[in-house]
Amino acid sequence: MIIKFSRILGVVRNQLSGIRPSVRGYAVETLAGSLPSAERKTSSGVSATTTKPTKDLGPAKGLLAFFDSKDNWEVNEVRVGRSWRKDELRIKSNSDLHKLWYVLLKERNMLLTMLDEFNANVESFPSPERIDKVHESMVNLEEVVRERNKAYYLLETGETGERPGQLALNLLGMQFFFKTAEHVVPPKHNNHWFKTRRLGCDRREVAQFRLYHNEKIWLEKLRARRKLTRHVMKLYQKFPNIDEEALQAEFPEVNLEKVKRFKGAQGHYLFKSG
Amino acid sequence: MSTRWYPIYQKGNPQLRIFLTNFWMKMARPDPNQPENIVKFITPTQMSDHDIKQYLEKIYQVPVADVRSKIMEGKFRRVPQKGYIIKDECYRQAYVTMPPNCKFKFPDVTSNKAKREDDDMKKYEKTMKESYEKFQKKNAGRPGVPGWFGL
Amino acid sequence: MRFSQVLSKITKEGIGELTKKQANLPESYVRRTLQSVEWRNPRGYPQYMPKQIVKKKTYYNVEKPWTAQFQQNNAPNVRHRKVFVEPVLNWSFFVGDRVEILTGPDKGKQGTICEVIEERNWVLVEGLNLKLKSMGKTKNYPGSVIGVEQPLLINHEVSLVDPADLQSTQIEWRYTEEGEKVRVSTRTGRIIPVPIGAEATHDYKTKGTYVENKEKDTTDKDLTEITFKPTLSTFEMDVMKAEGIVETRTPSKTYWY
Repeated sequence: MIIKFSRILGVVRNQLSGIRPSVRGYAVETLAGSLPSAERKTSSGVSATTTKPTKDLGPAKGLLAFFDSKDNWEVNEVRVGRSWRKDELRIKSNSDLHKLWYVLLKERNMLLTMLDEFNANVESFPSPERIDKVHESMVNLEEVVRERNKAYYLLETGETGERPGQLALNLLGMQFFFKTAEHVVPPKHNNHWFKTRRLGCDRREVAQFRLYHNEKIWLEKLRARRKLTRHVMKLYQKFPNIDEEALQAEFPEVNLEKVKRFKGAQGHYLFKSG
Repeated sequence: MSTRWYPIYQKGNPQLRIFLTNFWMKMARPDPNQPENIVKFITPTQMSDHDIKQYLEKIYQVPVADVRSKIMEGKFRRVPQKGYIIKDECYRQAYVTMPPNCKFKFPDVTSNKAKREDDDMKKYEKTMKESYEKFQKKNAGRPGVPGWFGL
Repeated sequence: MRFSQVLSKITKEGIGELTKKQANLPESYVRRTLQSVEWRNPRGYPQYMPKQIVKKKTYYNVEKPWTAQFQQNNAPNVRHRKVFVEPVLNWSFFVGDRVEILTGPDKGKQGTICEVIEERNWVLVEGLNLKLKSMGKTKNYPGSVIGVEQPLLINHEVSLVDPADLQSTQIEWRYTEEGEKVRVSTRTGRIIPVPIGAEATHDYKTKGTYVENKEKDTTDKDLTEITFKPTLSTFEMDVMKAEGIVETRTPSKTYWY
């Protein structure tokens, strides 16, 4: 009897969650989470809204939404579809998006609760990729809402309505994207802010530092380039009949004609080609 | 304005409303002897008690009588074998009291393991072992006879 | 066919496009599990530098990247010799293809590809090029022997079979008059179609046969329904209108700097 060894071992893809319980994957405030989705052409889950009515819990039955349905507690894999795409969200009305957001939010809370619970019991959490699917959907949804608001503000006020910002220099004379903040006081009356802001660079010592810093970056780039060249050289040595077109496509910045003539690129055996 | 900028409030301004909150919230296992109408939650540190109350009442439709929360500092740990020190993230731990008529029991999610043990490899090994034992039993009185003999 | 359009490449993370397709997992999950991050400072806080400790080199084997075995191979303390992989311009071997083996004990035999490991230029041919392994040996049980397929290099250890005469052949990628990219046998000029098996993922065999999760998935009808009506209002204004919230106050002026 022939059994695919690797395939049998490969069935359980949930085991990752047990090994690497990276709950810290998503930032708390900056990025939102997500919700499950469907396969084929469909997407996203609607289920989370309908809490499972089990027993009579009275007014506290809303808390059951923090847990997956009972069928999914004991299985090794929960097969769900893909995440919502932007194109699919763009055809939905604002109130639909608003509802979907809370479906996704509840689903994410449920998944996080379940993940913690499974980890605490040293069990593998079924299909941890659901968290990513929900997260992706939520990010897409927010993008779509932003797009709509931008269009409105551009039409009405001529500005995007987003938080303004521009490229500025920091104390070390390096460029960074300075995001402005909202103030009640107009800038010309806000002396305190202008005195304490840490923008721009007017110190002479910084020039020397910048020189060293640039050198460091340049050397890093050089090292990376040399590493690539050495790699290509080794490839030439190992595979004398290598497809140069493919090689150039993979390493566009390497000069093949030059590398080919390196001593390290010469193979010392005859390659048996099939 | 972008959905993630919380505007400054001045007197006479419209009421500030959040339409798409991105706070997460996890239910945590209850402490020993925790009353049945109290539920423990883990939330981001930025959430206030008022936020937690609103969150549960508006999104989950759960009546909330009282919320008490505090920020718990993440544990400092030494990485095994490597030796450097890392710190877990801080979180807010909230005890939410519901009215006395509400009761919630934290379910036991992982107790039933029967369904989870469907490892194909183990199953295969088990059947092979069983068939071998059957063969051994059959051939107990006639050692050295090939397996096809009794067919 | 969509799959023949894929000029499969090894992506930046090192994982092959075909493997990604087969996994059918979201991008962020693949990235999260592939690069084994030992430690990562929380982002978005002023007190933390954006630093992380990552194991950069990933070792690929016959194990698929989402398996536990793969994670063991790539654990922080495990080291492997550097593997050199010959670059391939157009990937031409897909699951379900009939191939002839050009080397080893099964030289000259033909079989079907059951797995493609793009990261190593490998294919596994079903039931051929086997290595026998004894499993589950104990005191009372002599163990059972199973055959495990060994990988074959696509560069010179297997070749595709021409469906016209069932002989191994070199192939070329060409365009049909409809502009479709197809594999053509150089010897007979016959088109070798990409098998349906290439479309299979972990979740379904073909897209049409996917069974929806009734509890979690959105139905096709709900998904394609158009409910958006363009109006001159923001998201917030729309939601407030739907909820019946009336707001007449105007915000006072603020300054951004």
